[in-house]
Amino acid sequence: MTDKILYDLRGVSKEFIKGKEKITIFDNLNISINEGDFLAIMGPSGSGKTTLLNLLGGVDKPTDGEIWFDDARVDNLSESQLAKWRANNIGFIFQFYNLMPMLNAERNVELPLLLTRLSSKERKKNVAAALELVDLSDRAKHMTSEMSGGQQQRVAIARAIVSDPKLILCDEPTGDLDRKTADEILSMLQLLNRDFGKTILMVTHDPSAATYAKRTLHLDKGEFIEKDLAA
Amino acid sequence: MSDFYLVYKNLTRKKLRFFLTLFAIFIAFLIFGALAAFDKALNAGVELSADNRLISVNKINFTQPLPISYVRKVETIEGIEAVVHFNWFGGYYKDPRQQVLTFAVNPAKLLAVYGDDIAIEEELHNNWLKNQQGLLVGKAIADLYGWKVGDRIPLNSNIFSKRDGSSSWEFDVEGIFTAKFPQADTNNVYIHYKYFNETQSFGGDFIGWMGIKTTDPARNEMVIKTIDEMFVNTPFETETVPEKAFQQSFLAQLGNIGLILSSVVFAAFFIILVIVGFSMVLAIRERTNEIGVMKTLGFSSVRIFKMVLMESFMLIFLGGIIGLFVATFFLGFLNNAPQFPLPDLILSSDIILRAVAVMIILGLITGIIPAVNALRLNIITALSRR
Amino acid sequence: MTSIFSQIFTVIMMNIRSLPKRFWMSFSATLAISVVVAVLLSFLSMSNGFKKTLEGAGSDKTAIVTRSGSKSELNSVLTNDVVNIITMAPGIAKNADGRPIYSPELYVVVDGIKRTTNTQANLPMRGIASVGFDLRGNVEIVEGRMFESGKNEIIVGTAILREFSGFELGTTVKFGKSEWTVVGIFSTGGSAFESELWADARTLQSQFRRGNSFQTIRVLLEEPGNIDGMLEAVKQDPRLILDVQTEIDYFKEQGEALGGMVTLGWILSIVMSLGALAGALNTMYTSVADRELEIATLRAIGFSNISAFFGTLTESLILSLIGGIIGTVASYLFMDGLTTSTLGGNFTQVAFSFHMSPDLFQNGIILALVIGLVGGFFPALRAARLPVVLAFRGGV
Repeated sequence: MTDKILYDLRGVSKEFIKGKEKITIFDNLNISINEGDFLAIMGPSGSGKTTLLNLLGGVDKPTDGEIWFDDARVDNLSESQLAKWRANNIGFIFQFYNLMPMLNAERNVELPLLLTRLSSKERKKNVAAALELVDLSDRAKHMTSEMSGGQQQRVAIARAIVSDPKLILCDEPTGDLDRKTADEILSMLQLLNRDFGKTILMVTHDPSAATYAKRTLHLDKGEFIEKDLAA
Repeated sequence: MSDFYLVYKNLTRKKLRFFLTLFAIFIAFLIFGALAAFDKALNAGVELSADNRLISVNKINFTQPLPISYVRKVETIEGIEAVVHFNWFGGYYKDPRQQVLTFAVNPAKLLAVYGDDIAIEEELHNNWLKNQQGLLVGKAIADLYGWKVGDRIPLNSNIFSKRDGSSSWEFDVEGIFTAKFPQADTNNVYIHYKYFNETQSFGGDFIGWMGIKTTDPARNEMVIKTIDEMFVNTPFETETVPEKAFQQSFLAQLGNIGLILSSVVFAAFFIILVIVGFSMVLAIRERTNEIGVMKTLGFSSVRIFKMVLMESFMLIFLGGIIGLFVATFFLGFLNNAPQFPLPDLILSSDIILRAVAVMIILGLITGIIPAVNALRLNIITALSRR
Repeated sequence: MTSIFSQIFTVIMMNIRSLPKRFWMSFSATLAISVVVAVLLSFLSMSNGFKKTLEGAGSDKTAIVTRSGSKSELNSVLTNDVVNIITMAPGIAKNADGRPIYSPELYVVVDGIKRTTNTQANLPMRGIASVGFDLRGNVEIVEGRMFESGKNEIIVGTAILREFSGFELGTTVKFGKSEWTVVGIFSTGGSAFESELWADARTLQSQFRRGNSFQTIRVLLEEPGNIDGMLEAVKQDPRLILDVQTEIDYFKEQGEALGGMVTLGWILSIVMSLGALAGALNTMYTSVADRELEIATLRAIGFSNISAFFGTLTESLILSLIGGIIGTVASYLFMDGLTTSTLGGNFTQVAFSFHMSPDLFQNGIILALVIGLVGGFFPALRAARLPVVLAFRGGV
């Protein structure tokens, strides 16, 4: 973890209008994430985990406050600008993998690279490297719909890192996996963080998953309570 | 991999659905191709009518006769290159139901007027000119009945009878003429007027109508006026019109065939529009989650919009091209069928162009709603739909 | 478990109740089928109307005599001698004076202007005497009066008035050099004769320079349908080169002109049905896929797979039946009674109206049901064969 602040939320508020009611998820939230950090965010359902993730993923906008990423403001970007920003900076890992069922593993991994200007050859190289990292090179041509949950999540990880993003956002990455497979996936995330310096933000409800992170933030009714790793 | 590949993969995702919608499109364009070619063949007479040819008939109706003396008089008019006169023989070969379109003409002038449309070997043509009982046969008829040069063919008339009481005339096949371009008519035969007139029992020197070639289309109007004025207030008044107009009015008599064919084609396209359209909307709706993921990864809404449109275009074009392809085979098969009375059915380039235009329009209509849906899809909503 | 029939019934009701959820897909199949049915019925009603018009003109009490091989009244030529000879043949009804009842008639073609396309069309003008009226049982002068012999007067059929311009009562029409006045309008109960202009035979002969010849003879038969006497006479006498037919047979032949239309209509409809079938299959497969969990659950509970089969099949049949009814009703509303005219066997215009009849409806509904049956069969099979375990897995 470096001293450079990668992600900075300043006085961020988020409200929803549901029918006639105004629901406040966050009010004046402040949080910073340093480069190289591995942050786990835990909390009961309804605590705002998902909303936070959406805000950090540039998929949602705050009602108030500012969001700064890599010394540039992102909360006031347009739809298409945000799309570009996401492509360049963020890698996503979902609970249910969200792979394209009609594509094989390597094509799934190649997907984010279609947003770059890399040549076909260069793309293939990057894809191979990513698959190598998650140890699935021998299954490159297999259809992901025919893979186990753990394998699919590994493909998803490969997809998330293939364009070398600064930040990886994970939404319950082990939610659908058994213990053993979950540990494998989490170890892989740790590896990405330690050896490759990737900043990772993981939303989870599983306490043992949080132990893989460097620090854990607890979210409750839109407020944070920081708890460090126990030893 | 490319956007095109992604679209293709999306399209062929559910094989059964892909095949069924493709088939429906294929059927519609097969019908379109066949009917368009059919319509074109029917109108071929109109389209191919030379600009510098006129038809002069009895004013009452073209089934009424004109005196043969008119021909000489018309020939003297300025601006006229040649005149050939016709008598409808009402011919049939052996069985009254086997009609053979037979015309009695003054042979020397036939090619002078229609030489741009039909071709015949010079020697054979001369043989026909010399033999009063000679029969000049169009290739389509020759193929149909297997007639060859040198055959002796009896033809009956369902209108006229010979002086000796019979209604059967004997002819020698002297030559077979071919079409100079694909849809020119070779479905008829020509005999000598003299032979016909001298042997038919009704007597009187009458003709049916005149085919006239002018020196220049610009002179048509003047020639028409001169001819009709020449015979006004005689017992046999004439009405002269450009060949094209004559053919057109002929077709119009059949009723609005064009309308009928267009309506059927329109109905066919409407069907696939409905089927493919709703299918596409459903298919895109089923992919809501995936579209959300794509947008999360960074694909812009516009790019996804284009991809959905590309998908509907791909489907329609694929089905359409296959449909046109099979139509060509089908038409070729019809053309070679012996009893077929029309000029060749062809999928000409203008028919193909029209088909492509329709494909573009259909692709747009079926694709626009799902594409806009995908464009407007909100990521959060999309991802929450599991 | 309850009887198979109540199972089937239950499943069918469930399927139908859930239709609104699959509204648009179901709608697309139904609409496709209704269009196909409408197309088929249009062609059939066209041909039906044409046939009806021509058949209405024929009677088996009347025979038509034409020159042998002429195939139509227009082409035929009969000299006065021939007329006299053949009308002496046995089998022809006689009037009070013992003279044979026959009507020698002329048939020439004149030009008229078709209202809808504003182009020239061939119109038949018949030279006829009053006996010709008697031979056509249902002639009625609806307006004006009958023409007087020796005068250039014509009466026009109601269809002429409707489809062609310039023949109103009192107008003078010019055919070539001769002028004729329209003095009356006649109807014949909707038959082909209403597409004709009628004038005095003798006047026509002189105006069109026909000397003393006619084109056809209509003869009243002693015994309906019996033309043997005349046929024998033709055989025996070499001067009689004639064709004798009952009027019914003659018009039947003429009616075959539009026979090709029926064939074309069926071919086109069947080809289009294949397209609609693809749509129906697509809809039903989607329906089964949508309800996979539901079907598997029912099976898990104990419903037999036969009930799943029939449930799906019935859904398809109902959709297609609705489509068939819509198509039939739409064709009836738009097409029935639509009038038009086309070239008949005589090379002249025959005006007729599209005519829908119950057996036509039948054709439409049958076509729709066939599409529904085939379109539902395979998806129904799939529903019947769904693995029950799907219910426990919560779907896919």
